[in-house]
Formats: sequence, C-alpha cells, structure tokens
Amino acid sequence: MTDKKEEIFEEIRNSLVNFDVEALKKAVLSAVQNGVAAQEIVDAMSEGMNTVGKKFEGGEYFVPELIMAGETMKEALEVLRPYMEGEAGGESRTAVVATVAGDIHDIGKNIFVTLMTTAGFKVIDLGVDVPAEKIVKAVKENHAKVLGLSALLTTNLEQLPMIVNQLKKEGVRDVVKVIVGGATVTEEFAKEAGVDGYAKTALAGVEICKGWVRREKA
Amino acid sequence: MASTFEKMMAVYEGREGAGIVFQPRIKHWWEVTLATGTLPERYQGMYLDEIYRDLEVTPREVWVPGVRGSAGYLSLQTREGDNVEVWVRQHRGPPDEGEPHNYITTEYRTPKGTIRQVERLTEHGASVYNVEYFLKDLKDIEVYKYVLQERSYEWDQRRYEWGKKRFGDIIPLRVNLQRSPLMWLIVGMMGFKRTVTMLWRHPRETEELLILLENEFYKMLEACKGKPIVELHFGDNMHQDMCSPPFFKKYVIPFYKRVMPKVHEMGMYATSHWDGFVKQLLPLVKETGLDGLECVTPLPQGDVTLEEMKEGMKGMFLRDGIPAVFMCPWTGLKTLEDHVRKLLKVFAPLLILGISDLTPANADIERIRFVNGIVKEFNESL
Repeated sequence: MTDKKEEIFEEIRNSLVNFDVEALKKAVLSAVQNGVAAQEIVDAMSEGMNTVGKKFEGGEYFVPELIMAGETMKEALEVLRPYMEGEAGGESRTAVVATVAGDIHDIGKNIFVTLMTTAGFKVIDLGVDVPAEKIVKAVKENHAKVLGLSALLTTNLEQLPMIVNQLKKEGVRDVVKVIVGGATVTEEFAKEAGVDGYAKTALAGVEICKGWVRREKA
Repeated sequence: MASTFEKMMAVYEGREGAGIVFQPRIKHWWEVTLATGTLPERYQGMYLDEIYRDLEVTPREVWVPGVRGSAGYLSLQTREGDNVEVWVRQHRGPPDEGEPHNYITTEYRTPKGTIRQVERLTEHGASVYNVEYFLKDLKDIEVYKYVLQERSYEWDQRRYEWGKKRFGDIIPLRVNLQRSPLMWLIVGMMGFKRTVTMLWRHPRETEELLILLENEFYKMLEACKGKPIVELHFGDNMHQDMCSPPFFKKYVIPFYKRVMPKVHEMGMYATSHWDGFVKQLLPLVKETGLDGLECVTPLPQGDVTLEEMKEGMKGMFLRDGIPAVFMCPWTGLKTLEDHVRKLLKVFAPLLILGISDLTPANADIERIRFVNGIVKEFNESL
C-alpha cells in the first residue's frame, strides 16, 4: 500500500506541476479509492504547488503558470470536497490581503495571493478598492496573522497609515503583522506608515511573511 | 535653434544635436485637481493647452476619455457593421458595501448574440476600469468575431483638422491604435486570468480570435495610408506579469514582425506603451522592430535601471523616463534633479522627456517647471 500510495502522490504532484487537470482528478480519485485520507491528498497537492512556486522563483514559470496551477488544484479540490467533510483541517496561518481604497490594480496583489497560498497560508483575498473598515473587520473576524496591503497610485498611499491607525483603534494592531507593496510604495514611506514589512516584489513579501511565522513558531 | 516640431522629428530620425523636448502628461492631474477643488490658483480658469503654455512645456496628446473629454487627434474612427448595435448606458451602481459608483454598461447586439461589458468610473471620473469584460466564454468569442468581421475604420478629416489646429504646428501627428492582439484581449476584452485560462483550455478558438484581432490592424493601417501621420502608437500597457516572456515570444514578437514592415513601408514610425515591470521583456524588445517605447518606468517605481533600459532599447527612442513618484512632494528635489540629468545623459538624443506614465494627481506641478529648467540648460549646452 505504501508504494502504491507514493506512486499516487507522485502522480498528483506531477500532474499539478504540468497543469494536467484530468490526470490530477483521476489520481485524486484513485487515492480516495485506495483509502488515503483527504488531508494527505491535499498535502500532496500542496507539495506540487510548492514545486510550482519554486519554478516561479527560479524563473522557469511565470504568472500564467501560477494561474494554471491554481486552477488545476481548484478543480481537483472540487473532486475531493465530498470526502473532506468530517476531517479535521491542518493548522493554517491566515492572511488577509487587499488593494486599498481608490486603487484598482490587482496583478501584484494576485501574485502575492497565489504565492502565499502555495506557501501554506490560508488567504482571504478582499479584492481591490477596499475601504479601511472592511479590511480591519476581515482581520478581526478571521484572526489574521498577516495583513498584506497593495497600493499602486500615489494618491492612495495615505490609506496605509490610515489602516494602521484603524487597526490600533480596534485593538488588533499587536496581533497582526502588516506588510505593504506596490510600485509607488518606498521603504521610507512604509516605515513612516508604521507597518511591519515592505517588499518590492510579491516573492520577497512572501519570504518576509514566512519568516514571521517561523519566528512565531520558534 | 530648432523648433519643437523639428526636435521631435530629429528623435524619430535618430539625429543628434537638435535638443530635447519635454512633453509630460498632465491631463489626469488637471482633471482630478479640478474635481477635488485642489487645482492651484494660478491655473484656475485655464484650458489644458493654456496650462501647458504657462509651464512652457510641449503638449501631449492623450486619448483616454475623461470627465472633460479627450485630448489629441482621434483621427481614426471605428465604424461598426450595419447589423451591430452598440447600446451604452451610464448608471449609478449597486451601493453594496461602500459608496455607490457610476457604471457604464456597453452591449454589442448582433444577429449572433449579445456581449456586454460593465466599466466603473474611478473616484473622480478621470478613468474607467472593467468590472465585467465582454468575453466570458466561447459563445461570446463567436459574437465578437462577428463584430470584428463587420467592423471598419476610416480617417476622420474634420477631427484631424481640429487636432492640427490645436497641435499641428507644435508636434508631429501621432495616431493611437489598439493594443497588440494579446494585450487587447488581456486588458480590454477578456481580463488577464480568463485570457490565460482560455489560451490554456481553448487554444484553437482563442488563437483564431488573436488572428482576427491582428487583421483589425491591417484595416487600421489601410485607413492610415497616405495620411500625414508620423507616429502610430500601440497602447499595449505592457507588463511582464501579464505578458510573460514566453507569451511575448509566442504572440507579441511575431505580431510586430508582421506589422512593423508595413508601418515602415508607409513612411511612419511606431511605438508601444510599456507601463509595467519590464525587466524580463526589455532584452526581447528589439525583435519587435518597434522604433520607440513610451513610459518604461525606471527604478524605484519600475524594475529597471536607466542602463538596463538603454541596453535593451539599443537604437530605439524613449518617450518619458521620469518615475511619476519623483513628481510627488515627498521625493527630494535633488533626487529628481539627479535622475533627470542622468536620463538626459544616458538617452539623448533618442529621448522625448516625460513622466512615466503621467503626472500624479497629488504631484507638485511646479516640479514640471523645475525639470524644464534642467532641459533648457541641457539644450543650451549642445
């Protein structure tokens, strides 16, 4: 059974890395039929996504490949969903991510969301043009450990310190780490805004968040 | 001393010694400051052209519709087929969680079916963005193919005359075309994620559509033939995270390789708007045959150094080059000055100086005057 299981896991990982939806669905069903727990199957898919993330980091894959991998996994999860009920999920770190009010740019944010997901975070993506109140509410309701904010327009940078203040007012500033990104955000501006981290690229941002989680665990 | 027109022609033709033109986009700044009541007193009551004159810089044509109409020639008109009805309505949108916004819904009604897009006006109405794209599935693609097949383009002599009166003696005629086919789909018709998944799941149908979009350019070029156009501009909004290097190689380079010889045969020049991160694409740009690039935002706002830009664009000209964030009050003037001086040194004479890609609404507009002083000094030193 162990060899068979490993063979199926290999198929799951490979079909995800190659965006082969049908092969992945087939492998997932085969795993279920062989009595593998749903959570183990999800873990195997996460390993595949991890490989996709590494290929992205290495410049072999680009954003379209991240999207294809994400879609492939989403379809496979639909197949698995009926078997997941009743199983306890693994511990996950929750991150809330948004593009600030008045700004509708979402590419950098979306890459960050995809990479955070592949890094094992549970991501609540609030979308674009999100008012401060909605962001803070989501942080509170989801007990988020990380808040990722994106701002591209110079006119909307003022939202960053405003959100930090709102977090303070609501008494959640100390329980969430705030990271910001976006082409017009500079390190100096981020510092003045009172956030915990600044990243020029989505990839660098994910590394910072992973570091926070590692330190917290230690 | 060469005129502005002559200086710009020298850039197109790659000639040295004529001097640099500073042509910043200020329309967005003007529209938003008007809407928010923050337009400085000095410029109250002025037309956009008058502000350009007051700042002593060269006017820039901008085609993006805004609350106060468009600037530029708009000489190429699109004519839809007889059986294609275009219905447009503006409405207050659903006041879901925030303020209600203004939306524009556009429908193309054809014998093959109807496609619909919904755009939302930005905060001050100076721009729009898609909340719903025209093309959502294969059925929509079939409808759009019909729209394209029936569509034609024609030269609008009256609008050209109007534009010439406004700009013609100062700047050469530039006509805006669509984005190149892949970017047309991604930015204008389908959205990024759906374009990626459609190319992945339905490559035949999607690539057929790309071919039809390319045919539109041949129709546009036909309409431009023999007209006094100097520059054709592809509003690509190029960004490597949307158009990855493999996409660029597969779809963008071959398109330009087919189109650019036709542009040059017509005695015209062509440029493309690159306003995203482009470090991975710049080493490939020469293969397109384009004559110049617009925008290309350097560090710290973009992801490339001036040297990398120069290296990638060898022999091509650059329009713009000052990161927009340098026009904001929180960037030191010395930083702006050093950047402009270096930009002039690295890119002249293949440079039409401007802001990448426009003057922000919260910019210190007097910095335009400051930059212009540096440009004047540079030109006098030639």
